[in-house]
Amino acid sequence: MNVFISGGCKNGKSYFAQKKAKEMSEAAGCPLYYVATMIPHDDEDRARIKRHILEREGWGFITIEQGRELSRILENPVVDSSGVFLVDSVTALLGNEMFDDEGNYVETACSKVSEDVMNFAEGTGNTVFVSDYIYGDADRYDHLTEEYRKSLAAVDRALAAECGEVWEITYGMQERWK
Amino acid sequence: MILIFGGAYQGKLEYARASFDAETVCDCSDGSMPDFTKDIIYGIDGFVLECARRGREAADFFRAAEDEWQDKILICTDVSQGVVPVDSVIRAFREMNGRLMLYLAAEADQVIRVFCGIGRREK
Repeated sequence: MNVFISGGCKNGKSYFAQKKAKEMSEAAGCPLYYVATMIPHDDEDRARIKRHILEREGWGFITIEQGRELSRILENPVVDSSGVFLVDSVTALLGNEMFDDEGNYVETACSKVSEDVMNFAEGTGNTVFVSDYIYGDADRYDHLTEEYRKSLAAVDRALAAECGEVWEITYGMQERWK
Repeated sequence: MILIFGGAYQGKLEYARASFDAETVCDCSDGSMPDFTKDIIYGIDGFVLECARRGREAADFFRAAEDEWQDKILICTDVSQGVVPVDSVIRAFREMNGRLMLYLAAEADQVIRVFCGIGRREK
């Protein structure tokens, strides 16, 4: 079953998602994959990735680096598509697609990422998706930031409709919506 | 009255349309006044922002029109969870929206929160 997890920043989403994915792979006796979505651009990013790798040590995750086009993972012959996948995060996937290498805004990113994550959910049936709840602000942002919020919300809603479980995490507390 | 709230872009209007027998919609996102002849009053936060700009209290407007929205669906974005805004008008809007939601939630027969397109009854 696919699982969708969202909530505010530093609220314990990743930890809950890791636990959930590990439990799912143990129950099914299948491989456990971590899909690393961050594409590093500077030393700060590289340091964050290093920290994340250390945090996952001992959990039994096989790391797959895929910042764009998740569905390509299913074409990889060494990946078992019946395994459990943890995708952390949808937010990063959208960010990677919304701007090209020259930093130009790509209008089609929302529909592309939506289609891609939905295909991946259907193709695996055992994926834990982590996203970020960035919809509680009073301030209105610049056009690009609003486009980003609107697009991420559209991807979130599509995934929430597709997934069998939907969770909101607030400071380590878990609320099940579906 | 049914109050539906949730964060931005969560699918509140779609949820209302799919869940209740309601057809006509008044959209106040651009700051226009609620038209209570419609079934759904949507984007109430837009009206509240306009009130904040003009220095009027949005909840007073709803109190005065109390008889007109008793059988309506009211939809408002929850803007209370983010960073305190730098702009004083937006700060006033954020607080005014909270006061209005408190009043409307107390008056409502049903209160529903929408999260990623999924609704849950809170009252």
